[in-house]
Amino acid sequence: MKFLCVPCDTPMKLQSVGPPERGSLSIVYSCPECGYEMAMLTNAYETQAVQSLGVRIGPEGGTKTSDASACPFAAMIPGTEDGQAAEATPVRWTAAAEARLANIPEFVRPMARAGIERYARDNGCLEVDEKILDAARDFFGM
Amino acid sequence: MKSYHDIVGDGGSGILEQVAEHRTRIADGLAEVRHLVAVGSGKGGVGKSTLTLHLAGALRARGLRIAILDADFNGPSQARMAGVQGALFVPGSHKVSLPRTSNGIGVFSMGSVIPESQALEFESAAQGESQTWRATREFALLGEILGSFEWGALDLLMFDLPPGAERTVQYADFLGPCISFLLVTIPSEVARGVVARSVAALSKGPNRILGYVENMSGYYCRDCNAIKPLFMSSETPRLGIPCLGTVPFDPELARFCDGGISFAELGDTPVRRALDDVAQQLLESLI
Repeated sequence: MKFLCVPCDTPMKLQSVGPPERGSLSIVYSCPECGYEMAMLTNAYETQAVQSLGVRIGPEGGTKTSDASACPFAAMIPGTEDGQAAEATPVRWTAAAEARLANIPEFVRPMARAGIERYARDNGCLEVDEKILDAARDFFGM
Repeated sequence: MKSYHDIVGDGGSGILEQVAEHRTRIADGLAEVRHLVAVGSGKGGVGKSTLTLHLAGALRARGLRIAILDADFNGPSQARMAGVQGALFVPGSHKVSLPRTSNGIGVFSMGSVIPESQALEFESAAQGESQTWRATREFALLGEILGSFEWGALDLLMFDLPPGAERTVQYADFLGPCISFLLVTIPSEVARGVVARSVAALSKGPNRILGYVENMSGYYCRDCNAIKPLFMSSETPRLGIPCLGTVPFDPELARFCDGGISFAELGDTPVRRALDDVAQQLLESLI
């Protein structure tokens, strides 16, 4: 969808995306010529239609408005951030291991995190580093 | 006044660019895969998953590098059948490692992460009403899986499709002309009718239909060591596509599937020989 400032005949630019409220997003566009601002207020179906594409709405690094890329299984997995079932002993992650985890999409991240932490605990480690990740790969024949 | 196509970009939402990025990530992830084959039917319960796994096993026994993507997100069965239930997803340097069977077949299945007592659910701003968005979300998820797992260098990536003739076509549309289709039917007019619809629907697109396999083509009686009729239908299917073989039903194979026992452990039975023959035909059809 694109927006055109009719008096200026100029494409409008996205300015901000408000956080979802009861399924509605507030997406503000402005005209770079005259500064006129308008807001597109989506209904829940429109919000969901875009979220279902698995895309972020708004500029990169901007307001996170969509949970479309969040893990759909988080609530099902014990020990995940959203799972509300944190395991008893916390496991630390080194920066390098976190960086590797960050390379994978959000949807699979809680699953990966929970599984690796379980593997680390089972092996008597309370810190996940790259060695643990490599060991897990080897252990599971990957 | 400018029209839509006069305006470059979309004013900053970047949605089209993100969709294009997803496509690029998928293409990059599959760059070293020689063949993509979707095992579909249109009809449910004809043995798509069983054939997918055991054809993969037969091809793996020939030394091919094989992976399976269980695309039936709502009714995943490959995790159990392949013995990768509860498999860990381990991040590599860039992507997620693929769980593997004991005989080295890479398997992605939702069944690895979602217990059989639970259904796949997505959060929704639309408060349910999933008929309006669910298929889109599932295909986005398929894209994320294709883009995020280490498929690596493969001779064949097999997609175990969900039932539904229209779904079969949606996979063809999503995955593009590079994916070929192997259809599965059983000796029942009802099943053949549904498969014929899938053939008709797929024939309108650019994807190759490699042929069909008639599964449950009689059953193998171990006591008699003979194949006996399972369905009364004796008519030869007229699907207009090559038949890559017939596979009899074998209760032992069903037990293997339930127990996650690999093809390699299946004895020298008519079923194994039939699967081997179909695997060979499949291989030749890809050349």
